[in-house]
Amino acid sequence: MPQLNPNPWFFIMIMSWLTLSLIIQPKLLSFILTSPPINKTSTTTKTNPWAWPWS
Amino acid sequence: MILTFFDQFSSPCLLGIPLIILSMLFPTLLFPTPNNRWVTNRLTTLQLWLTHTITKQLMIPLNKPGHKWALILTSLMMLLLTINLLGLLPYTFTPTTQLSMNMALAFPLWLATLLVGLRNQPTTSLGHLLPEGTPTPLIPALIMIETISLFIRPLALGVRLTANLTAGHLLIQLISTATITLLPIMPTVSIITLTILLLLTILEVAVAMIQAYVFVLLLSLYLQENI
Repeated sequence: MPQLNPNPWFFIMIMSWLTLSLIIQPKLLSFILTSPPINKTSTTTKTNPWAWPWS
Repeated sequence: MILTFFDQFSSPCLLGIPLIILSMLFPTLLFPTPNNRWVTNRLTTLQLWLTHTITKQLMIPLNKPGHKWALILTSLMMLLLTINLLGLLPYTFTPTTQLSMNMALAFPLWLATLLVGLRNQPTTSLGHLLPEGTPTPLIPALIMIETISLFIRPLALGVRLTANLTAGHLLIQLISTATITLLPIMPTVSIITLTILLLLTILEVAVAMIQAYVFVLLLSLYLQENI
């Protein structure tokens, strides 16, 4: 099986990590989200019940 | 030189230049760096939505310190997804069929999750080696079994991705060889084999996406235990 040839193993390892860390990560970091992630609020909003039907 | 069916997986080399660089850099070309506009073009919007969805799905089960891993897990997911899907095009080389690449990605990331757990919360991390409610006589055996399963995880992670993609590509090559060989001899059987090939290709598209997802999901699961 040619995958078990140890010759290019180190090169492939270095290339995959370099691609992942130096190219893909900065590209994904430059995406600007439209709304930033926020934590959940600790208090829930109070809703007032109403006596009339929906329509 | 007689070509076997496995020769499609040998790392491509032209005049001494390893071409795997191209196979790994080309997927990055499909992600153009967006500009600073609020409303960008269609491709950037779609990629933003995809990245956002993936990050959300991965980060929901994790606690706050685990959110530091968002970038590496999302970028790993995008890389594996693109590489796997591009490998299904004809005459392309899939770097994720190389055991070297998958082990290079799996082993350090698994080790990172393990060391994070052992460093910050050693008792909890080691406590995962014994499931709750085991009968007392079984405890030594179960700890040994769980330790073995812990150390098998990076191997399983790497080999799972490699084997799935290699088997898929090999099957596609075998069945397409059968289709071409049968075409002059038994055209009807060749048409049936062609149908099988089409269905198999659809399966391989699904497998490509699922395997990338499983890889990253399992890493996030190992992270959940340890962070």
